[in-house]
Amino acid sequence: MSNNYFNTLPLREQLAQLAKCRFMHLNEFDDGVNALKGKKIVVIGCGAQGLAQGMNLRDSGCDVSYTLRAAAIEEKRQSWKSATENGFTVGTYEELIPTADVVLNLTPDKQHTPVVEAVMPLMKEGACLSYSHGFNIVEEGMQIRPDLTVIMVAPKCPGSEVRNEYVRGFGVPTLIAVHEDNDPKGEGLALAKAYAVGTGGHKAGVLMSSFVAEVKSDLMGEQTILCGMLQTGSILCFNKMVEKGIDAGYASKLIQYGWETITEALKYGGVTNMLDRLSNPAKIKAFDLSEELKVIMRPLYNKHQDDIMTGAFSSGMMEDWANDDAKLLGWRAETAETAFEKTPAGDVEISEQEFFDNGILMVAMVKAGVELAFETMTAAGIIADSAYYESLHETPLIANTIARKKLYEMNATISDTAEYGCYLYNHACLPLLEDFMKGIDTDVIGKGLDVADNGVDNARLIEVNAALRAHPVEAIGSELRGYMSDMKKIV
Amino acid sequence: MTIRFNNLSVDFDERFQLEQINWQIEPQQHWVITGTNGAGKSALAAVLAGAGDIISGTAEGIPAKVGLVSFEAQAELIAEELKKDDADIMDVIAEGTSVRDIIGQVSDNQPLIDDLITRFKLEYLLERAFRKLSTGESRKVMLIRALASEPDMLVLDEPFDGLDVDTLAMLQDYLSSLIETVPMVMVLNRFDEFPDFITHIAYMDHGRLQLSIDKQDEQAYEELYKLLHLKTTELQVPGADPETAIPALNPEDPLVRLNSINIKYADKAIIEDLSWTINPGQHWQLSGPNGSGKTGLLSLITGDHPQCYVNDIFVFGFQRGSGESIWQIKQYIGYVSTALQWEYRVSISLRNVIISGFYDSIGLYSKYTDRQRDIADQWLAVLGMTDRADQPFNKLSYGDQRLLLIARAMVKHPPLLILDEPCLGLDDMNRQLVLSLIEKICADSETTVLYVNHHPEDRIKGIDQYLALEKTQ
Repeated sequence: MSNNYFNTLPLREQLAQLAKCRFMHLNEFDDGVNALKGKKIVVIGCGAQGLAQGMNLRDSGCDVSYTLRAAAIEEKRQSWKSATENGFTVGTYEELIPTADVVLNLTPDKQHTPVVEAVMPLMKEGACLSYSHGFNIVEEGMQIRPDLTVIMVAPKCPGSEVRNEYVRGFGVPTLIAVHEDNDPKGEGLALAKAYAVGTGGHKAGVLMSSFVAEVKSDLMGEQTILCGMLQTGSILCFNKMVEKGIDAGYASKLIQYGWETITEALKYGGVTNMLDRLSNPAKIKAFDLSEELKVIMRPLYNKHQDDIMTGAFSSGMMEDWANDDAKLLGWRAETAETAFEKTPAGDVEISEQEFFDNGILMVAMVKAGVELAFETMTAAGIIADSAYYESLHETPLIANTIARKKLYEMNATISDTAEYGCYLYNHACLPLLEDFMKGIDTDVIGKGLDVADNGVDNARLIEVNAALRAHPVEAIGSELRGYMSDMKKIV
Repeated sequence: MTIRFNNLSVDFDERFQLEQINWQIEPQQHWVITGTNGAGKSALAAVLAGAGDIISGTAEGIPAKVGLVSFEAQAELIAEELKKDDADIMDVIAEGTSVRDIIGQVSDNQPLIDDLITRFKLEYLLERAFRKLSTGESRKVMLIRALASEPDMLVLDEPFDGLDVDTLAMLQDYLSSLIETVPMVMVLNRFDEFPDFITHIAYMDHGRLQLSIDKQDEQAYEELYKLLHLKTTELQVPGADPETAIPALNPEDPLVRLNSINIKYADKAIIEDLSWTINPGQHWQLSGPNGSGKTGLLSLITGDHPQCYVNDIFVFGFQRGSGESIWQIKQYIGYVSTALQWEYRVSISLRNVIISGFYDSIGLYSKYTDRQRDIADQWLAVLGMTDRADQPFNKLSYGDQRLLLIARAMVKHPPLLILDEPCLGLDDMNRQLVLSLIEKICADSETTVLYVNHHPEDRIKGIDQYLALEKTQ
């Protein structure tokens, strides 16, 4: 049934699509939401992402209503409650889709095929169908009626952030794309831009990409560094600390809030700044550990990227969908049972600097994960801008989710697709790092280095600093962060 | 012996009243009474010297011999001298009492008198008539009188006013030499005049002793400094930015018109069938118990409540739900609440927090103009925070954050300023600070104020429209 769209493209076209990514300038959005004015927007699905985007669009002056499956309305499910309590008109597909000029499909990936098949015949001639993730088009090869315009507007944050940042007067970085096979009137880009303005994304930076580049890079980032690495790292670091006699409450807190604190440094100044927060001996230690980790984990990153490119990942996941999510739900239950998850953060004060000093291994893991994900993506033809956003840029967001809710809730917050990939990574990575972890002690996780003074060898320090700064993720990172500060984003 | 005022209310010729003063002065304590003009500082000091009529409450332990120096005492003495002159109907030129005799009236300790006269360098006018002295000279005589009387307590109301630099230094030294033997109470307005030996500070406002501060409490001391700055600064509320003026409203329209509105969660109604119109220039107070829907009602106005789209709401020229954006609404509103403060968890500088008020954003994401920066700096000066302009907001004390957020709300001179329980969670001192700032804003601008408070009796000067919400069942 499903026919992987990417695999139908010739290599030349695959590479061209993967390489599509351009940071758009603020003045490209001068037309505001005008392209959507007077148009009727109907959102399918009212989960976190659907509700957040709809509220933002409405607050930007757009006409937004929600359509849900008849059963969800009859049974007054949560999605129905969310939409009605927020003052939106809610109707069935039959009631609302025929009136819509723009249909936003914001249902979970696994529902895309049945949803799109159900709404497509109801859609007006020449209307627009929008996605927030290109999985359905790229991995499942969904064919859309040729008169319809197909676009993607993908805010690179969970729904709660999409709404919160808008309310603050800002937005979240957003990726937009037009499905070139479905742009009969050539209005796809104008609609996508107006939509990005309506959700506030233009203030935080918009990347013009392609469906293909979005899917292949998004999947890679979320499975590996973003969710997978932090999940695996949390479990390994916690267990190691407890094994070495560190108070479990302290260990739990160091990890739960540590990812957020150290990746905050990452957000501001890249991997370099994150490591610069360490003392010189600790920096060299973290560097060495991360080099070791990169060697061990590189085959795993390659495998994830390869499976994503060939479609093996998505077909595996789709099998699980067909099997009522048996694997996903089983793995989710396992996550709830991990010692880290079950140990509440202790009531101890940990200073901002202490998270770095006592979390050298965590810093090394983030560095290794970010660099590997970036290197693997770019080696696969994804261009640096995309690779940066899908690796380094998003890591603090997931870290923030862990700080608020630990792993189980983090996994529940991200998409099922991300969660499925996260578990795949975690299950492969835990045994892979078993030997490495045997050599780990509390000097790099839990207590900090026990050194008499902070002296280091000059030559070695220079070498490490140079290596940090020379990594390609740092070059593109400082360029992209530069755009952001040009826009006077003062975090 | 301890001096103790218990719920003391004192009347001064029906001109002024001190109300419910509770105050305790232990031996070895030296107090400064401070506050703005008309706050009751001098009155409180004068009570120690026996002035005023006690209406209620008690004053215990006031020493028998109090040396008082004040403008009022000085004026009184001069008036007495002039009276003598008036009373003299004989055709001779009355000279009045000489300085030597004026001092002699209170003391016969000649060595002490001589010593003081030398210190104040007043030898040259000993024979001059007291009533003919300049203000500064007679002030020195008053000081000598008080000191020469060997009092049990010194009450000095603005003793340093009008003194030349040398005399000032001499007097401060001299007073320091007395601290072991004579407790002192001084009325002083300027922090930099507080002598080092001061142990406690009393802050007066509206005839009440609002705060008693131990000088050891550095934080309270610092906050008092800010309060006095705000109360006494002559700096005006900075003007609006002409370059980013808000589009003008039709003066005929109300700012806000809510028509028979409802707020419902699930099936529970929080607000039912409420209509409310706010016209320009009408200051409102909105009150009601927790859960009565105050914040919900406000957020219908600000556009933060999703149900603003299902109610009949007209705000700032827009019928809600007609294609307007919330940023078009928010540009007309300045808003301060505890919730905003909680949400404002950003590490941007104090200056940028104020500038963010021009953009209605939490955090600053827009390129601002030099003029906006200047205006922000003027606000910082009003708040006395100029030297901290570049410090991060999230490192600021809770009370200072609130002050800054009020400045942020006012920076664009919005037609409507909404203060949602602006004193919530603040201690007395910070409450005073916030209220002082609000009073200053009300006095200096054309903004319509909507003040929200859950105690209807807790009122602000200048507000005369009231809406009280009740909890729906």
